Amino acid sequence: MIWVPLLLSAAHLISFSLWTIWISFTPSTLIPVSGWVGLRNYSAVLASRNWQIAFDNLLLFGGAFVVLSAATGLILAILLDQRIRGENVLRSIFLYPLAVSFVVTGTVWSWLLNPGLGIQKLVHDLGWTSFRFDWLIDRDMAIWTIVIAAIWQSSGFAMALFLAGLRSVDADIIKAAQIDGAGPVRIYRRIILPSLWPITITVAVIQLQFAISTFDLVRALTNGGPGIATQLPALVVYDLMFQRSLLGRGAAAAVLMLLILLAVLLPYAAWRYIQRRRAAHA
Amino acid sequence: MPITTTRRRLLAGSVATLALPAFARAQGAAKPRLTAISQWSAGSDGAAITALGKKFEEKGGVWQHSPVPGFTTEMMNKLRAQIMAGDPPACSQLKGPEIAAWSKIAPTVDLDAVVAAAGYEKVVAPDLAKLHKPAGKWIALPLQIYSTNMLFLSKRAMDKAKADKVPVTWADFNDLAEKMKSGGVNHPIANGGTRPDDGQKFEAALAGISPAAYRAAIMNLDEKALKGPEIKAAFAQVRKIADWMDPNVGAQHFSTNLKRFVDGDMGMMIMGGWAQGVLRNAGFKFEDFVIAPGPSDNSKPVFLLNADAFIFWQRKEPDLQAGQTLMAQLVMDPAIQTMYSQITGSIPVRTDVDLSGEGWSEGQRTTAKALKDAIASNQAVLSMAHNMAQENGMTAAMIDVITEYVKNKSIKPEQAATRLAEAVEGAR
Repeated sequence: MIWVPLLLSAAHLISFSLWTIWISFTPSTLIPVSGWVGLRNYSAVLASRNWQIAFDNLLLFGGAFVVLSAATGLILAILLDQRIRGENVLRSIFLYPLAVSFVVTGTVWSWLLNPGLGIQKLVHDLGWTSFRFDWLIDRDMAIWTIVIAAIWQSSGFAMALFLAGLRSVDADIIKAAQIDGAGPVRIYRRIILPSLWPITITVAVIQLQFAISTFDLVRALTNGGPGIATQLPALVVYDLMFQRSLLGRGAAAAVLMLLILLAVLLPYAAWRYIQRRRAAHA
Repeated sequence: MPITTTRRRLLAGSVATLALPAFARAQGAAKPRLTAISQWSAGSDGAAITALGKKFEEKGGVWQHSPVPGFTTEMMNKLRAQIMAGDPPACSQLKGPEIAAWSKIAPTVDLDAVVAAAGYEKVVAPDLAKLHKPAGKWIALPLQIYSTNMLFLSKRAMDKAKADKVPVTWADFNDLAEKMKSGGVNHPIANGGTRPDDGQKFEAALAGISPAAYRAAIMNLDEKALKGPEIKAAFAQVRKIADWMDPNVGAQHFSTNLKRFVDGDMGMMIMGGWAQGVLRNAGFKFEDFVIAPGPSDNSKPVFLLNADAFIFWQRKEPDLQAGQTLMAQLVMDPAIQTMYSQITGSIPVRTDVDLSGEGWSEGQRTTAKALKDAIASNQAVLSMAHNMAQENGMTAAMIDVITEYVKNKSIKPEQAATRLAEAVEGAR
């Protein structure tokens, strides 16, 4: 009877999405009201500086985070795959940050990255006084502090998926390559990594949808600052809905976020569908 | 521990609710009961409202306070949910223009009779009174006042600068900051990095330069005033302040740096009067710092008003209605206001309370006198950074510009002034 919970969650999801879409076309402010303002909420959101900064940040953060966390995860997985001792312990350690709430991650990193308290001060106290690591308070670099904290949190997750992929590569093929005289680098490059493509795409899509909805991490780490330099769409939605009491505009921003998500998920779904069709034909 | 007290009180309150219907029927008359929500759960705020609840109970009432700790927005979310469910609290914390905005979404209580009986209107600052009677009738009552532009001077930093004169104008202020800098104070301005923090720097600068320009541009959103020379001058002053701040504060709360302020590593702090309570709670002594009204170029005190208030929501239950009347009487009572302000470090809303007695600090007396003088010279204005001058949406749009300006030194004062005018236009 798997369809009962499925139906319930789908109804739940769809009804709230429809409700948000409806609100985004109304003049709602403090509380939801009926009425029709057309696309006025959308144009107001799109024209606001906050949203423009948030959208640019999302492109930068999303891209950098997905690529770097996948790369870090892959390297960790390859290193762990060398039949080393204590693999279980290391795997748990790398996976552990995933168990920590983003608010905790954000708060801890906000102390570590604060130039007056954290890493920079530590290095200064050790004697290297010209050392500078003040990205947290640098408008142009602050978004990278979020990338750093997010990678720390979730590269373990990518690692776990990649490790499973590495383990599922057919050992016979690798042995055959070894007999043919291929070195380890060549084996990784020509045989193992190409077989990881499907996993890479899965990792990228999961991380990307996480990147789009990032909220608690930024809120705890920089709270959108310095100034409004590290705004992200989810922060803008919260700010519009609850801090500025502009429900209609907040809903419009939320719908825009949904559209961005669909721009990622629909191609992914299409890709999966084509893959399955191909597999069925082969 | 204020939290334990609150919890115990809540428990007692809920037991009382269960027992109440039977009790009321037996008595024949309604025993006053009050359901209230606020964000005040801990520290001096929590202690003050708990003490108010105790007074309410002493008068025979049943006190049911549900604190929603955290930001004001979280308290508002709870209030919104309760209003939409048709079950508003009998009374809730709300302040400034939000009183007018929220009073449009649910019916409120007409407090005119009880306010008139207490003769309250005569003793409240006129601009403040207006906020609490948005449609001509009193629907909310201010509880305590803070000024958001008090100037705190670190005694040790003053010693380092070999200065003993409290700055009156912005020129004095800038002089003293330079002296502190050359006297070895690392950061002449103590600060946090939150949005209201940045907003306070700007409002203190503008109101200090010209209270009239502040009233026109920030309170009345007059287009010409928003493009006036005072705005640019205010931004230029904010740049000076920002250059004297510790750039490393990130998004920290101002209280993080209080120890450095007291130690003389930081010199001056432009902060609300509540900082006095925070300093005292942190174990610092009154001898460690001096409190004065914020800089004012015409030498008469400028008072940026921030007042906490309660709004009363219409309820049909006779016991809640009786509770609302009792609560209103208590909130306006000079003795209660004295008790409340002495706990939190604010000053009473009533301008006729005598602060010469024991239990008041020098800082509170200075603040109260500043308010009186500012009202007399029409220089008591409403704080923008703390949501008294405009509704939240407009305030947030203004602070966006200000906070970006504080943190981005490549923005020129003229550019910031243009952006502020544009932001106001966009949020209208």
